[in-house]
Amino acid sequence: MGSVFRSAEMSLCQIFLQSEAAYTCVSELGELGLVQFKDLNPDVNAFQRKFVNEILRCDEMERKLRYIDKELKKDDMKIPDTGENPKAPAPKEMVDLEATFEKIESELREVNTNAEALRRNYLELSELKEVLKKTQNFFAEHGEGHHTIVDDAQNALVHDEMATTSATAVQLGFVAGVIPREKVPAFERLLWFACRGNVFLRIDEIAKPLEDPVTGDAIFKCVFIIFFQGEQLKLRVRKICEGFRATLYPCPESSQERSEMLNGVSTRLEDLNTVLHQTEDHRHRVLANCLKEIRNWIIKVKKIKAIYHTLNMCNFDVSHNSLIAECWTPVSALENVQQALSHGTELSGSTVPSILHRMHTKETPPTFFHTNKFTKVFQSIVHSYGIASYQEVNPALYTIITFPFLFAVMFGDLGHGFIMFLFGLWMVVMEKKLMSSKSDNEIWNMFFGGRYIIMLMGLFSVYTGFIYNDAFSKSLNMFGSSWHPNYSEPLLDSVETLVLDPEYEFDNVTGPYPFGLDPIWQASKNKITFTNSFKMKLSVILGIGQMLLGVMLSLVNHIYFRNPLNIFTEFIPEIVFLLCLFGYLVGLIFFKWATFTVHCSTCAPSLLIHFINMFLFSYTMPNDNFNYQCDHTNPKLTGCKATTVFYRYQNYAQIALVLGAVLCIPIMLCIKPFVLRARHNRKIRRADNLQAVSQSALIHHEEYPEEVKQILIF
Amino acid sequence: MGSMPEMYFNIDHGYLEGLVRGFKAGILKQGDYLNLVQCETLDDLKLHLQSTDYGNFLANEPSPLSVSVIDDKLKEKLVIEFQHLRNQCLEPLASFLDFITYSYMIDNIILLITGTLHQRPINELIPKCHPLGSFEQMEAIHIASTPAELYNALHTLLIAYLEDFYSFCNEMGGATADVMCEALQFEADRRAFIITINSFGTELSKEDRAKLYPRCGRLYPDGLSLLAKADDYDQVRAVADCYGGYRELFEGVGTNPGDKTLEDRFFEQEVKLMKNAFMQQYHFGAFYAYVKLKEQENRNIIWISECVAQRHRAKIDSYIPIF
Repeated sequence: MGSVFRSAEMSLCQIFLQSEAAYTCVSELGELGLVQFKDLNPDVNAFQRKFVNEILRCDEMERKLRYIDKELKKDDMKIPDTGENPKAPAPKEMVDLEATFEKIESELREVNTNAEALRRNYLELSELKEVLKKTQNFFAEHGEGHHTIVDDAQNALVHDEMATTSATAVQLGFVAGVIPREKVPAFERLLWFACRGNVFLRIDEIAKPLEDPVTGDAIFKCVFIIFFQGEQLKLRVRKICEGFRATLYPCPESSQERSEMLNGVSTRLEDLNTVLHQTEDHRHRVLANCLKEIRNWIIKVKKIKAIYHTLNMCNFDVSHNSLIAECWTPVSALENVQQALSHGTELSGSTVPSILHRMHTKETPPTFFHTNKFTKVFQSIVHSYGIASYQEVNPALYTIITFPFLFAVMFGDLGHGFIMFLFGLWMVVMEKKLMSSKSDNEIWNMFFGGRYIIMLMGLFSVYTGFIYNDAFSKSLNMFGSSWHPNYSEPLLDSVETLVLDPEYEFDNVTGPYPFGLDPIWQASKNKITFTNSFKMKLSVILGIGQMLLGVMLSLVNHIYFRNPLNIFTEFIPEIVFLLCLFGYLVGLIFFKWATFTVHCSTCAPSLLIHFINMFLFSYTMPNDNFNYQCDHTNPKLTGCKATTVFYRYQNYAQIALVLGAVLCIPIMLCIKPFVLRARHNRKIRRADNLQAVSQSALIHHEEYPEEVKQILIF
Repeated sequence: MGSMPEMYFNIDHGYLEGLVRGFKAGILKQGDYLNLVQCETLDDLKLHLQSTDYGNFLANEPSPLSVSVIDDKLKEKLVIEFQHLRNQCLEPLASFLDFITYSYMIDNIILLITGTLHQRPINELIPKCHPLGSFEQMEAIHIASTPAELYNALHTLLIAYLEDFYSFCNEMGGATADVMCEALQFEADRRAFIITINSFGTELSKEDRAKLYPRCGRLYPDGLSLLAKADDYDQVRAVADCYGGYRELFEGVGTNPGDKTLEDRFFEQEVKLMKNAFMQQYHFGAFYAYVKLKEQENRNIIWISECVAQRHRAKIDSYIPIF
């Protein structure tokens, strides 16, 4: 039996791995991917397991790889995806890998520290340059030479009268520096408070963003210049600057010295720039070397770590120097597992083979489905509702048809469906190419994952589009309509809407439109009313069919698991309930379609009203001379309307159906729990009896073996 | 807010309360501690913490680990979580969370001032500050011309802070007031007890000491006046005897092996109170409790790491379990 119908048959296996071959064997099993290991030491701490050192080494390697990866990202170098899947390297290669990573990391760190120092230097010099430029401008604005600006500041700081008397006597000092822009308000406030308003602060923004030496982020800063008077204030201002991590720069007093310094700084900056470029180049070379390899490295380390995690789940048998693993594996894959094991042993060079040994267990095995690229998406849709128990019927098989079909019933448009089909087909045809260009776009990945389903949905929509005769919401007239109105020209000109009577205007010779809806409905005024009623009935039939299928599958499960209780207390009442109410409704739909012709359309029942009235037990009876035949009935005579009973003994039949359905409810709800409870109690009683007997048997030196036997039989 | 704040609580703060309860569920359990104390090295500790809510918080640190790195990372994690809460919140929760940070700010300032009083350079002190209480002007504190005066002023500030926080929570009413008032009363009383006990044998006069008592605890006013008169530990204990809840704390305190210090007893009591804060819903106490519990957890992890790092296992069990 194909494993799409049920989950694969599983078997619990014990594997004796020779300790020297364990690593390669697990590696091979991992590549195979058909084995689920059981944790045999669930109570052991993560750090007390056997291979904890190896795992810590892997952690360390991963950390280094992450560091390298981060550096690569920082330089905007994209890691090429070669699609390679390297095997886990042998344990002894781990040392080589570690050494390589260690070398690269230390090299990178060294380059980075150098570059950082250089960049810091660069930052400081460019800040100094800005400070010099700004102060130069500032002093220039306020007149030639330093003294006028000092006078200006003096006027601002010292009271007017005092200024006139002692202006020349007071000597103002100043400091200049750079501070991050966001700190300016707090800085300004604190300066004002701490110096009691006795300083004069000028701030100017540096327009160009500077580069943070560590992270490389853009930082925005301001140049400030503070004037103050006296040594104490100077000390205080300096402390505040230090507290705010503002960098102070020496700024000469005279304009000439400043411009000289500016020139010096500019040349140094240029020199530094060349050195910086060289460091960048070196760094780039180091990174470029890693770029080709890093993807493989990451995969390799991940695999090594996974292997050791798996080995940590095994028991260690000291006497045989072997590891004992327990695992679940599909019975059909046992041969592959054996092969992988022997291949692993061969690779390790060990002479003693690893032994696989099937175990018998009462544990419920895990559910496993073999899927391929086509069934995978259907299986995952089913899994989103819940995973079937071991060996239960797998609904995914039916979903392959029902899901796209039910979608199409709702979508139902030939044109749009065809576009969708083409999109799905494109993805399926280009599968390999699209798969290799991995995308991070979640929405695209969702579409691509569901490419087969999209294709099928499109295809089914084309079909339902034909049935509904809908192509881009227009009808196609392919076979010619079966309606032939024979109204005269003047009548057509004068009247806006005309009624087509099926008795006279429908072509009974050619019969109905061969496939789908007659295109004449496109032109009719009651198109929506008609198609709504048609589609609603269709949906009810399909929906109830789907439910019936589900209930039937449960019967298959009950039979497979030999569970008669479930058949009698679940399946039978369920099916009776379903058929009594909804099955009956479906029957009525077909009945109405089949029997009511144009001659008795006035008697055609409204099924919705009838179905509601069924639960209300309210019935409208026709006149006595109504014979429930569809011939030229005269409603006035027979008294039949849309709500009147339309077949003989309808009221009795419906009352019986409702009662039958209602009766099923207590059966579904109550019987099973009581049966289960009774069984459970019986089991407990039996266990108690056995214990009592075995105890008394021990006491009486097994005097009553007969009794024990009897109870065992009971 | 109207007469029933609980009805509208979730509109503004429901998401954050859910978040903080989620964070709380990540606090280490007794079983985790049992595993942690078995660690041989700090790397073992890292390995075990990986399997808890801490996840990969140490993954990017090169081996060998040091205790200070663990400490930094623990604090960093708490701060990230707290900042997230603070960034998402609305008034009055915003003020409430700010109140929580104020105490850390005051602690930082005290640390910096004490450092400057002992002539330590500020750069050495900054890394020791709790990141939750760092603020821009903090580093400029050493411009104070009279650090000693400032130091005294700070103690008054701390009292004012406690009393302010208390009245803020009291005004909030409802479950917030119930939970927070109890917590802050405890905090105030703890300070009063500790200050009194620590003042014995120093030159602090009784009048000055009385000024340092926060007046929002259960001890106020009678207990505080008794404490102000106390001369030795036994008299403090006699004061505690009058208050149910504090009497039990002083029992079993001693210096013998197996006994706990008074400080630990207070921490235990605090943990108990904070755990109870999660019993009620629709209040801010849970945020305060979370920060306090997390702080205690950090202390526990650091304690265990220190014991592991120094191979001094005798006292490794004297952490304070939370759940």
